[in-house]
Amino acid sequence: MADRPHKAHRPAQSGAKADKKDKGKEKQQGFNEKAFAPKSGRRADRQGRRNIERDQTRLHVPLVNRTPDNEPPPVIVAIVGPPGVGKSTLLKSLVRRYTKQTLNEVKGPVTVVSGKKRRLTFIECNNDLNSMIDIGKIADLVLLMIDGSFGFEMVNSIILPPETFEFLNILQSHGFPKVIGVLTHLDLVKKAATLSSTKKALKKRFWTEIYAGAKLFYLSGVLNGRYPDTEVMNLSRFISVMKFRPLVWRNTHPYLLADRLEDLTPREQIRQSNKKCDRTVTLYGYTRGTHLRPSSSVHVPGVGDLHIKSVTLLSDPCPLPDADSEKRRKLSEKKKLLIHAPMSDVGGVVYDKDAVWVNVPGSFTRGNGDVPQGEGEQMVMDLQDVDATLEDSVAQSHIRLFGSSSNHLMVDPSRNEVLHEDEDLEGDDNEEGSNEESDPDEDEDEDDDGMNDNSEEPQINDRADRSGQDVEYADSDSDLGDDFHDNRIPDEDDEEDDIPSDEGSDSGDEDEEDAPRWKLNLASQAHDSFQLHSRKNRQKDWMKLIYSSSLTPSQILQDEKAANHEDDEADDDDDDFFKLQKGSILDDEHIDMTKDILTTDDLKAWGDEEMLDSIRGLFITGSHDAAEGEATAADDEHEDLEGGDFEDLEADTTNAEAEPSRPSLNGNPESSGASALAAKKEALKRKFDEQYDDPDSSKLDFYETQKDEISRQLQLNRAEFEGVDAESRALVEGYRPGSYVRIELADVPCEMIEHFDPTYPIIVGGLLPAEERFGYIQVRIKRHRWYTKTLKTNDPLIFSLGWRRFQSVPIYSLDDHSIRMRMLKYTPEHMHCYATFYGPVAAPNTGFCAFNSLAGESPGFRVSATGVVLDIDRSTKIVKKLKLIGVPYKIFKNTAFIKDMFTSALEVAKFEGANIRTVSGIRGQVKKALPKPDGSYRATFEDKVLMSDIIFLRAWYSIQPRKFYNPVTSLLLSDKSHWARMRLTGQVRRDEGLKTPLNVNSTYKSVDRPARRFNTLKVPKKLQATLPYASKPKLMKPQRRQTYMQKRAVLLEPEEKKAIALLQQIRALRKDQVVRRKEKQNERKEVHRKKAEKEEAKKTEKEKEKRKDYMRVAGQKSKREADLEEGRGGKRRRT
Amino acid sequence: MAHSGSLIHFSGHQYLRNRLVLSILSGKHVRVDKIRSEDKNPGLRDFEISLLRLLEKVTNGTIIEISVTGTAILLKPGIILGGPVSHECPLSRSIGYFLEPIIMLAPFAKKPLQLTLRGITTDDHDLSVDLIRTVSLPHVQLFGISDGLELRIKKRGSPPSGGGEIQFLCPVVKQVKTLNFIEPGKIKRIRGIAHAVRVNPQFSNRMIEASRSVLNRYIPDIYLYSDVYKGEESGKSPGYALSLLAESTTSAIHCSEAVSQPGVPPEDIALHATRALLDEIKQGGCVDRKHQTLVLLMMVLGSEDVGRCRMGPPTLRTIQFLRDVKDFFGTSFKIVPAEPSDASSTELVYSCYGSGYDNVSRRLA
Repeated sequence: MADRPHKAHRPAQSGAKADKKDKGKEKQQGFNEKAFAPKSGRRADRQGRRNIERDQTRLHVPLVNRTPDNEPPPVIVAIVGPPGVGKSTLLKSLVRRYTKQTLNEVKGPVTVVSGKKRRLTFIECNNDLNSMIDIGKIADLVLLMIDGSFGFEMVNSIILPPETFEFLNILQSHGFPKVIGVLTHLDLVKKAATLSSTKKALKKRFWTEIYAGAKLFYLSGVLNGRYPDTEVMNLSRFISVMKFRPLVWRNTHPYLLADRLEDLTPREQIRQSNKKCDRTVTLYGYTRGTHLRPSSSVHVPGVGDLHIKSVTLLSDPCPLPDADSEKRRKLSEKKKLLIHAPMSDVGGVVYDKDAVWVNVPGSFTRGNGDVPQGEGEQMVMDLQDVDATLEDSVAQSHIRLFGSSSNHLMVDPSRNEVLHEDEDLEGDDNEEGSNEESDPDEDEDEDDDGMNDNSEEPQINDRADRSGQDVEYADSDSDLGDDFHDNRIPDEDDEEDDIPSDEGSDSGDEDEEDAPRWKLNLASQAHDSFQLHSRKNRQKDWMKLIYSSSLTPSQILQDEKAANHEDDEADDDDDDFFKLQKGSILDDEHIDMTKDILTTDDLKAWGDEEMLDSIRGLFITGSHDAAEGEATAADDEHEDLEGGDFEDLEADTTNAEAEPSRPSLNGNPESSGASALAAKKEALKRKFDEQYDDPDSSKLDFYETQKDEISRQLQLNRAEFEGVDAESRALVEGYRPGSYVRIELADVPCEMIEHFDPTYPIIVGGLLPAEERFGYIQVRIKRHRWYTKTLKTNDPLIFSLGWRRFQSVPIYSLDDHSIRMRMLKYTPEHMHCYATFYGPVAAPNTGFCAFNSLAGESPGFRVSATGVVLDIDRSTKIVKKLKLIGVPYKIFKNTAFIKDMFTSALEVAKFEGANIRTVSGIRGQVKKALPKPDGSYRATFEDKVLMSDIIFLRAWYSIQPRKFYNPVTSLLLSDKSHWARMRLTGQVRRDEGLKTPLNVNSTYKSVDRPARRFNTLKVPKKLQATLPYASKPKLMKPQRRQTYMQKRAVLLEPEEKKAIALLQQIRALRKDQVVRRKEKQNERKEVHRKKAEKEEAKKTEKEKEKRKDYMRVAGQKSKREADLEEGRGGKRRRT
Repeated sequence: MAHSGSLIHFSGHQYLRNRLVLSILSGKHVRVDKIRSEDKNPGLRDFEISLLRLLEKVTNGTIIEISVTGTAILLKPGIILGGPVSHECPLSRSIGYFLEPIIMLAPFAKKPLQLTLRGITTDDHDLSVDLIRTVSLPHVQLFGISDGLELRIKKRGSPPSGGGEIQFLCPVVKQVKTLNFIEPGKIKRIRGIAHAVRVNPQFSNRMIEASRSVLNRYIPDIYLYSDVYKGEESGKSPGYALSLLAESTTSAIHCSEAVSQPGVPPEDIALHATRALLDEIKQGGCVDRKHQTLVLLMMVLGSEDVGRCRMGPPTLRTIQFLRDVKDFFGTSFKIVPAEPSDASSTELVYSCYGSGYDNVSRRLA
């Protein structure tokens, strides 16, 4: 019976049960409306309200996100935590997860591709406060690492290291990026119950600090020097779906996290100056925030304000997967290996300060031919075979640009080497770019003048292709352009007159040493497109004329107004032109005026009826056809020429209302006009339908309209420069966020290179025009509640404001009844106050935090204050109270003469009419100086003052903050964490052994107030007699005799006596009872006390033991940490 | 301090106003030398010095150094302060000369500006106060500066003796709006102001008549106001002028003006103004030629977005202005023909990336 197998369950195939089952399945599929329908009206109401409220929480202030959607810059993931918590291990694990590579040593940022649309830049933050501040300003996502094992025995009072909280406060004042907490060392907690309670407590603490619901990850022990793969994978998944809200500061400033640094200073110069000359440095990185303008100033935190010498766009070293790999569902293995970490040793390649080192551990060596080699490896191996430099080989080779040309390509020896390097780097890009740009133009050129036969076309393209690879691109383009013109322009002879030949402009550019190369290229391009349009009425390339030619404005306009302004040469350039004899007649013409002088002759044409009729089309009453006809008259001829850049431009224009009116470029005018009209009608009809059907739907709420507006503008931003080539695009809009650029900085202090340490982040923060200025900054400030000391006016404070970290001397103040800003000696407790200091300007509403010391060894919480900028000005109005004291020396009725307040009549004159007051509150006024004692004056009061009164004059004395600005140049130090700041006053005194100066008048002395004795009032007898009774002094002698009440005797009745005796007895009994009771109670108390004492002793014993235990654990831990510190190189936690 | 890189150097007295404005807005120091150094009467003129004084009044912390000969100046700009300011303009230039740069600065002040200027209200060289009120201010309004923007003409003053007075009120903004104005539209109305002071009031009617004789053919919506000031308000010298403006369906404005000249009948003045207006309309674009620099400047000062505007070909001042803007703000414009297919069209589309200029001097709360 027992071994017989059970019958398998057979579900019912039919009947009620089967029906029921199917029904249930059906239900689960869709959303069951009934299940969530409210039962009562009230409930429905509540639910509705809740929904609306929930919708409102979804809304945020619409902010423009300036980071482009396609090709965004890598997300900066900063890993922050105290030493020994496992930052490097986590970074290595994450890098391993994305690239399948193990890094030995992590230095500087590491960029990896994490997905189809996302790249990540990991950076580890060291324990220096300066680094934490800088990282906090740029990190998009912070992995905040917390040691879970630390203090796990005292679960109820979890102690996080102060650096963690300092970092959170820094984040808060500079815009809060996303934070994910990562708990490590949880494997050290052995007991399951303790573990869960630790997690719980830490989560609670973390949530109060960040926000309820902030993500917290738990990482257990280390395996093979990494965290468990599954846990890291979970973390990486969270990172990859993270969404980022734009932060205001980063959305208004361009910035860059440098992942590579090179020194371009000539070696010889460094040698001659004994390594002390200013350096020319290039920094590499992805631009972030807004567009980086080449001409802007930048601030490198820790170094100072620097000027960008040049910006070069480089090819992306870590590109996102492109279109063909996009087709595949998964990321291919090859792409996954993409990693860009120039400062670390990745793949055996180390980018050093000034060189690139290739490590050859054996993978690139010959011999193992059976191993399939990648393209890169092959290239490196080929490099080993090369015995001549590229220059030599090019010089030796005979490359011909055209099949037909007889001269082969020559290498210009004077070429700049630096440029050459770049060319190699961005070879691919240029090739594509030049292809795109040159092709259509050339096609048009041919069609245009019909001189070049078709057989030449492939050669031209060939030339363009090669120029990208071999010859420096911009130069070659313009050179060849010249050749072309020389060959085929002769019939268009007027060209040379209008436009300065390219030779001319080139040489002009070369005169200025740093002329950007785009100019050359632009010139040739502009010239090409110019030719396209210089047909009947020549349309100029205004951009070229204005920005890259040295013509004066009048010369540019000259051919249009040739007749008018013949002698109107600009006076800017012709200084040697002697024109004194023309005198003031000339001066009239050169007057700086807004109106153009139109002479009657200019306008004579308007007397003509035909001329008057010609502009009828520009008025609403004018016929539609007239204008259309005029506008599109020349269309027919141009039809075949259309294409290239302009077509792109027009096609991309998304402005809806602009479309209909603009004649379509490709169709003929009639049909285009008709289609435009049809489109317009269609739109109108749709609009009407919408409004008729549902009048409310067309009205968007404020939030929606704002969002629409923002997205429309962003689309326009993208579309406007889509077709423009990269170089002129950089001119107009700068370098887009997400592009990998090389920034060349001049005059960089040599210490930055000498003491370069890749573990300290280098940030290049772009400055807006206003931020280069200096001024007085008024801020709202609050001392941090965890900062133990109070802040004192005129004590230097280190501010982290904008990109900058600097020391300045603030003056604290409070608004006194909106009348004056009154100086405070110290910051108030638990209250905001104002502070004013001198420094570089930052826009109002910028947050900041302040520190007294950035050094690591300073005890306690280092963030001393936080606040926000309120106002920028060039002067301040802070006052402090000044009380002038004087005494009366002669008193009349309401007038008194006051001395000792001023020292001269002049001073008195300055204070005439000022309000004064006595201590007792009698108010008065300064009248006029008196001649005799110097500085004495006549004053009137509302009542008679006494000689013993002191007279006050309350005045306000204005003070200015000191003009002190000291940037924190931490990156220039060899020991980066020990920046020597300006010392606080007290510290200086302590160091110098000085005593605090003490004003004698300010010392407190015990006030000696002798009791005033008043003599008795003696009224003469005679006078007393004459006084009326009411005024007579009423003096009475004490009574001599006993009164009746005193001298009477009291006799008791017998029953009274008895009663009293009884009462006495009862009282006595009672007393005795109380005494006995008390005695007994004392006895009981004594017993209890003894018992309690015993217990107390036991308790303290226990406490002692407990503390001992804890200290022992803590000591072990600190010892472990110290060990880790020592063995920095091989710091790997063994579990 | 670290200002050494921010000094910009110019020579020559031309375009001085724009350069001073750009310097104050960008905060970059500017040095202008060779100011009429070759002239019989070298150095700064009285109106230029007066302008510098006005700028000093409007700003806080501005340092202006003028060389001994007056042929070189160095401007270290402070912040724009605003508030109540009054200024006496010299009789060598009209109020327009002083007001034009102030209009560019005032929106970025700390406090709303209430500026009173006294002098000549209308002359040949600069925009008259009528045009500034009816044309320049609407152009500024395109950029979201509208609430409280006002110009009051208290008294008129003709050259040579002047005696006019105006009051200019301007609010402050945090950031100007991005302009996207590429539809010129068609002219839908024409307005005009004919004023006559200390002459026969019939003069203004005669000007209106003459102007209407030309303009009536185009549209019916023409109102030309006759604005006669009497007594105290009419200034110290006789004079009359006609200012015209044409507004399109998309509120693009074109304007022109003609001022009385001795010995020229008012009809001719009116005809001159009318024909100048037609000339201006023919130039096309969304912005009047005289206001190109104003609009371009505001476009540069916009948020970091693409602003576009369609205008006629640049004038001399505009070309130099574009170059100066590049020196001060590093912003270049993309300038392409508005209708590349139409060879006869001279209209251009100017587009630029705003520099994200924020009014930092404005106080928070």
